[in-house]
Amino acid sequence: MDHACLTLPRCLLCLLLLLSCGICAADARKDEAHFERHVRPVLLEHCSACHGQEIQEGDLRVDSREALLQGGSRGPAIQPGDGNGSLLVAVVRHTLTDLAMPPEAEPLTPKAIKHLARWIDRGAVWPAKMPLGESPPSAKIAHFIKNHWAFAPVAENNLSRRKDRSKASDEIDRMIEAKHASANLTPSRPASPEQLIRRVTFDLTGLPPTPAEIDAFVADVSPDSYTQLIERLLDHRAYGERWGRHWLDLVRYADTAGDASDYPVPEAFQYRNYVIDSFNRDLPYDQFIREQLAGDLLNSADDDERWRKVIATGYLAIARRIGVSPHAKKHVMLEDVIDNMGKTFLGLSLGCARCHDHKFDPVPTSDYYALYGIFDSSTFPHAGAEHKQRRENFVYRLPAEELEKVLQPHRDKLAPVLAEINELRDRRKVIRERPEKKEEFDQLNREIQKLWGKYTKIAHDFPDVDMAYAVSEGSPHDAKVQRQGDPGIKREKVPRGFLQVLGGQTLPEGHAQSGRLELASWVSDPQNPLTARVMVNRIWHYHFGRGLVRTTSDFGLRGELPTHPELLDFLAGYFVEHGWSVKEMHRLIMGTAAYQRSSESIAANELSDPGNLLLHRSSRRRLSAEEFRDTVLAISGQLDREPAGPHPFPHKRTLHYRQHEPFQETYATNKRSIYLLQSRLRKIPFIDLFDGPDGNLPFAERRSTSTPLQALYLMNAPFIHEQSRAVAERIIRETEGDEAGIDWAYRMLFGRHAGADEVRVGQEFLARAIEAGASAEKTEDDFDPKRDAWAACVRSMFASNGFLYVD
Amino acid sequence: MQPTRRQMIRSLAAGGLLLPGMLSELLGHQAYGASDPLSSEKTHHTPRAKRVIFIYMTGGVSHVDSFDPKPELRRYHNEKIADPGFCKGADWDFHRYGDCGMEISTLFPEMGSIADRIGLIRSMWTDNGDHFGASIAIHTGSSNFNRPSMGSWVSYGLGSENRNLPSFMVISPGLPYGGGQVWGSDFLPVAHQGTRLRPVAQPIPNMHPLAPGSLQQTELDMLGYLNRQHLMGRETDPNLSARIKSFETAFGMQSEAPEVFDLSGETEETHALYGLEPGSRDSFAWQCLVARRLAERGVRFIELIDTDSNSGNNWDTHGKMARYNELAKNVDRPVAALVKDLDRRGMLDDTLVVWTTEFGRNPFAPNKGATGRGHHRHAFSTWMAGGGIRGGVTHGKTDQWGQHVVEGKVTVHDLHATILHQLGIDHKRLTYRHAGRDYRLTDVHGRVVHNLLG
Repeated sequence: MDHACLTLPRCLLCLLLLLSCGICAADARKDEAHFERHVRPVLLEHCSACHGQEIQEGDLRVDSREALLQGGSRGPAIQPGDGNGSLLVAVVRHTLTDLAMPPEAEPLTPKAIKHLARWIDRGAVWPAKMPLGESPPSAKIAHFIKNHWAFAPVAENNLSRRKDRSKASDEIDRMIEAKHASANLTPSRPASPEQLIRRVTFDLTGLPPTPAEIDAFVADVSPDSYTQLIERLLDHRAYGERWGRHWLDLVRYADTAGDASDYPVPEAFQYRNYVIDSFNRDLPYDQFIREQLAGDLLNSADDDERWRKVIATGYLAIARRIGVSPHAKKHVMLEDVIDNMGKTFLGLSLGCARCHDHKFDPVPTSDYYALYGIFDSSTFPHAGAEHKQRRENFVYRLPAEELEKVLQPHRDKLAPVLAEINELRDRRKVIRERPEKKEEFDQLNREIQKLWGKYTKIAHDFPDVDMAYAVSEGSPHDAKVQRQGDPGIKREKVPRGFLQVLGGQTLPEGHAQSGRLELASWVSDPQNPLTARVMVNRIWHYHFGRGLVRTTSDFGLRGELPTHPELLDFLAGYFVEHGWSVKEMHRLIMGTAAYQRSSESIAANELSDPGNLLLHRSSRRRLSAEEFRDTVLAISGQLDREPAGPHPFPHKRTLHYRQHEPFQETYATNKRSIYLLQSRLRKIPFIDLFDGPDGNLPFAERRSTSTPLQALYLMNAPFIHEQSRAVAERIIRETEGDEAGIDWAYRMLFGRHAGADEVRVGQEFLARAIEAGASAEKTEDDFDPKRDAWAACVRSMFASNGFLYVD
Repeated sequence: MQPTRRQMIRSLAAGGLLLPGMLSELLGHQAYGASDPLSSEKTHHTPRAKRVIFIYMTGGVSHVDSFDPKPELRRYHNEKIADPGFCKGADWDFHRYGDCGMEISTLFPEMGSIADRIGLIRSMWTDNGDHFGASIAIHTGSSNFNRPSMGSWVSYGLGSENRNLPSFMVISPGLPYGGGQVWGSDFLPVAHQGTRLRPVAQPIPNMHPLAPGSLQQTELDMLGYLNRQHLMGRETDPNLSARIKSFETAFGMQSEAPEVFDLSGETEETHALYGLEPGSRDSFAWQCLVARRLAERGVRFIELIDTDSNSGNNWDTHGKMARYNELAKNVDRPVAALVKDLDRRGMLDDTLVVWTTEFGRNPFAPNKGATGRGHHRHAFSTWMAGGGIRGGVTHGKTDQWGQHVVEGKVTVHDLHATILHQLGIDHKRLTYRHAGRDYRLTDVHGRVVHNLLG
């Protein structure tokens, strides 16, 4: 029983129970449950295609009790109370000479027939007003292509072809303001230059503007000062570190595998850096998709480019592993792969279809296994696990032969040591927990320890050849549907291909590759109605705090409708038209008046548009966990802006973890938060506390909760105290007099000058703080009343809403 | 000396640092908005328990050596009767305890002394035989996927009774299998995540002020001033005022929490009852006594994890069952004491105590004379007490070897459904919309074990 997914009949049952109200007699409940478990699925699966709403062979329908009672050309199908005497049972039991059901198919199992008979015996209870179930998937798909907005082609808009970006931005404002007019909203005035530069700088880089940058921007009255500001920020490396983080949220990036021992993946960082670089280079989004799904199969101009694209498939490789034998549960990992691909690129959750046709969206199980075949034909790397410590299937940069030449001599040195270690381990195992052999046991331990040292030394001397946590081609094959997601029960084979609702393309028979290359082109096809819409909506979401479709990873039936459908299509059209350039989308969106509005509330507006769905003002947002930490470090002067390479894991050939002793190291760094070690079993307490991602689930939208534990952190955490002290030292060093110091702090933390009153209160506070500090017991050696007073001042500023929120 | 929360609020008010409207709110009933994730929620039916103490033994406690006597195993000790291997009889004798005559082994004589309070399940079953999978299953219902922990669901469903403490707290000296996943809130709001306490001087992180009291008070005054300035023109934003309130609550926690962990007010008799040496935090007894104090203060879901900081030192005895003597000694007395202590304080009626583990251990051994036992997911034992559980009752049966459940099978979903039921929650109606569908703790499973309910 490895599957823990919904099954069709059970899910219906659960729906039913949720829908039904009032108290049913226990018996009736039992009968209904029996129907749901044993009768409905059989009728649905084996009978309804020919005896249902659309087709009625022999004039018979089986989709209601009444229809069965009425029967078809051969008379009533059931006689309640008499299962064995009912026609339905007779035909499925094949006791009649002239009629046997289902035709041209495997007969029902004796058990299924027994349940049918029992159901009729007990009165053929059919839960009130529940139709049999859904029509076959193909009909459902056709219906949705016609009726669900997200599957309709992106509407053409000639304006989106325009070269003149500012006209396009105006067009966006026109669409937004049209809604204001109809809802009687007066949009807020434009944000002040100080507010604007703080907003833009955080949005694009995740860091605050420096006082000098603010001054320059405020002083610059030239008409293109704003576009220049955006260009400058887009060129900054910090841009990729901010927007790459958004992407890593979606793909649940982590530096460990997530299995029971949480094996480190020392090579994973290359994918992280690839993502950052791709945003910085403004890699066209369609190409970004192709590289992540099939980079290893794309053409490249040179070996550097080829290797970069191999690393890109780290997107697939970093899928969540689980348990002590993840290598033996490829079907569980592939669910994560397929589900993430659906959510991230298409805004569809596909994971449900592993066990049953999707309940809400037109994704039948066969679609899931069409995709499954593609990934099952690919080889995924194994980072190690309790039951298989050895890493394998990583991708080397060198061709196999050359690699052999380089590595073989070292392997030859390692092999005998390992053999010796294993032999001693076997001997040790036999005498474990036998007190009389304790001496021998200890001796063995010492020898093993010594040999391990030797082993480690040899391992460290291995030449450092390039390798990647990436996928490669396996043996191409189609997959069989797994009944209810159970790999032990195989059903019909499905040709590898794409979702039917998006075209249903399949690979030619006998195709010699996995099909990832084709999948990449289907996903990134400009005709695909979802891909561009989903991405422009994400970009909009990150700029406005809310997508035009609020559910940014769910464009299916359960997702929300777009507030501005015309605008969404305009953006999608513009995106494709302008080479899928993400940076161009920033320029376009940030060029609108809508983006540049102030966040102040106007009472009348709040009444008619309380959630600001119509964008009558800008939405205030809380800094993310990463922005908070990076900004604190930047202000204290301790932020290390250099990009990070690998984490200082133990040597990859010496990794050895078990669920009893999982990997749980942490590595301190003052680099930007995107470079922090992200483990899957051990969360980063600070990131977690402030609603950050944990590397297990995709995060399409971050929450921003306010909890007392966060407040305690800001009041008492050593990090905050250390940093505040460092800021205090800076203030004392770099400014003269309290007045200048207070203004400096306001400028650094709040992005504006302190007002006269604020300076006065600040001075009073400093005086009180010196007094309070002086009267307190001295617990620390380096007591410095002035610095400590400043540090207290900075702490309260770090904790304040003015720092934590961006207008 | 630390100012009290009330003094603090008064001082902020006197200094004009609090908005007029907020004062009454902070001093009186804490009227939190509808968006507050921890506001108290209504139950589906009349609850029998207000809170849960979930005691979790890491590693898989052998049922046939503790709560499920199997004389046949002893009779055929070291004989190969059935396919799975050689019978391995229990290393401990079983006695009848209490008026009910419940059979419990000599590993847990103290738990035996509360037999008349215990509703015992001998028919637990789980779907995964690895520590990792089974550990997350007993906590979240799923052995394969990341899901919110039961404590998070309870916090989400019922909210908090005490604003000054988190609603879901986990005392875990080391990391259990599955790490933070076992108390993670996953897709539920992070406010419902378990707050992990460790047996150290500062069990809740960042609870102790680093700045001297008077300085911190000055600092909070300044914060009040800054926030008030900032709020001008932004009064309609509920997030800003929620955050201002979170500092008030934090200050309350800072004042209240140290007192929770200060056991100096507990009598010698109480210390002795739990078997806790005054001043020590090293044993499970500390966890149990702190649990009672958290329960008294209205923490909704308290979990005690029996795991050493070296997680290998737990009930996972492949090599030597004899280690159970020491492991049992660490938990037996304090767990029984907790139930007795709750009982004499009148708290057992509305506190549900659950004692469980991730799976059982194998009644059979691969070779003769084996000293340890392997994992066994097909049967294990769990008990509950208080919170409307009928004492002295045994539910379910395993076969003569303790290998398979033959009567009254209880899955992790059934256990979860029962716990929620006692809290007044219908497990089918406690749902959360995530990724386009409504999720439940019990997925599409779960039957309440009515047999055990009073």
